[in-house]
Amino acid sequence: MTMILPEDFADLEPFVADWTPATSAERAARRSAASATALAAFHDAMAPRLDAALVWLDARPLADLDPAGRNLLGLCLMLAHVALAVETQGQDEPRHALQREVMRITRTPADP
Amino acid sequence: MATKPTFTSVDQADLDFLGREPIPAKYYHDADWYERERQAIFLRSWIEIGHVCELPQPGSFIRRELEFAGVSLLIVRGRDGEIRAFHNVCTHRGTQLTDQAEGRTSTFSCPYHRWTFGLDGALLSAPDFERFFTTKADCALPRVALDTCAGLIFVNLGADPVPLRDWLGELADELETLPVARATRFSEYVYDIAANWKLTYDNFQENYHLRFIHPRTGEATFSSENPFGYPVRYQFFGPHRTQTIWTNPEPRIAPLQRVAMGKAMIAAARRGLAGGPNGREYFALFPNFFILGTVAPHFSHVVYPLGPQRSRGVIRIYWEGDDADASERFAREYVMAMARDVHAEDRAVIEAGQRGLASGALKHIHFQTQEALCRHLIGAVRDAVAAHEAAAGTAG
Repeated sequence: MTMILPEDFADLEPFVADWTPATSAERAARRSAASATALAAFHDAMAPRLDAALVWLDARPLADLDPAGRNLLGLCLMLAHVALAVETQGQDEPRHALQREVMRITRTPADP
Repeated sequence: MATKPTFTSVDQADLDFLGREPIPAKYYHDADWYERERQAIFLRSWIEIGHVCELPQPGSFIRRELEFAGVSLLIVRGRDGEIRAFHNVCTHRGTQLTDQAEGRTSTFSCPYHRWTFGLDGALLSAPDFERFFTTKADCALPRVALDTCAGLIFVNLGADPVPLRDWLGELADELETLPVARATRFSEYVYDIAANWKLTYDNFQENYHLRFIHPRTGEATFSSENPFGYPVRYQFFGPHRTQTIWTNPEPRIAPLQRVAMGKAMIAAARRGLAGGPNGREYFALFPNFFILGTVAPHFSHVVYPLGPQRSRGVIRIYWEGDDADASERFAREYVMAMARDVHAEDRAVIEAGQRGLASGALKHIHFQTQEALCRHLIGAVRDAVAAHEAAAGTAG
């Protein structure tokens, strides 16, 4: 059976479908499209697991991650964006999303 | 706990040489003045357009559109390793050779009649060339001056420009100390803005606006001691200028920002990038380029004019090496997203300023002591226009 996430992180499986876009620009767009409730739910579930997830991932070469490892990495990278919405922008997030829209991300080291 | 002051404001007396008078508003919206700037500055200054890491091997090329000049350039690394710039234009009848943004090739072949050029711009072959009344040697791609400093690629559309390092003066050696000189990767985001290039650029060389426009993302900058987050020093180098950014001893930082910045600093230390001599310097190279010396984010920002009241900003965050592990990838993603959050907040208010100025309601605008870099820019612009027009005998 193919694992969706590494065994220790199975509790995060419900988030994989919605919160693992492939590129930085898509992660930024996913953040902007999400409701405050959805952002908070993902942040509250993922933020306490970030340290453990990065420890698990750092023990493996980035280029050789299996699909479950890649999903876990995707959740970590998504959290980078969602944390800015929840921890920094707060109530300003919906208005801020409109301002961000025109700042087009064209490449990052994380992009495939 | 004892509170030792860490901030001393720059003294106006040290800036009086820049003047105190109001600045004519027309410089920021007038189409005739923009054309004079274009002729005097943008068509004959060193303009930053990329980084050597985009051209990793012989045959690597990038295409750059310089809208302010109506020019398309091919930047090419030759077989000899040298990087050259050519107009993206076939010498037969002017057809643009490629619309590819970047790539690797051994030749450039015109789609129209298959004239084929080498990486050094030479015309290698042309079908039925015997019927022409010229020589291959006379049909090489038109070359444009190109030079690099700290890995940054500059081009100059003028004929016989002063060498780049002479133009940069003593800043050239300072730039070489920055992480960008060793960069191999970058994150990039781009925005278009309905505003004059100087009005846009000025926003990013004054901190007066930070607490009003960046109340949340700028929090780490604010303290009771230095409520506006003003810099501790300004320096001027001909038309270029720098500021030394203040270090807030007690920054307010969000929880995951602390995690990400911690990992970014660990990665920078591991790569030997932390603690450089210019780690708190923010360089502004005339006319339209910035780079911030901090290691995370280590960003450049170029504001290219598209017209009197339209510009494009390109922001790059430079990194050395591929992501070593997931922690470094996470840190780079967070740092990019955070910098983008900050930059996103400026655009609307700059455009509001442009609309106000374009209305013609104001004859003048005003700069305070801590907007000295904006005052210095318009001074350098006026000097450049005057010098060019005097030399050309076209003073108007």
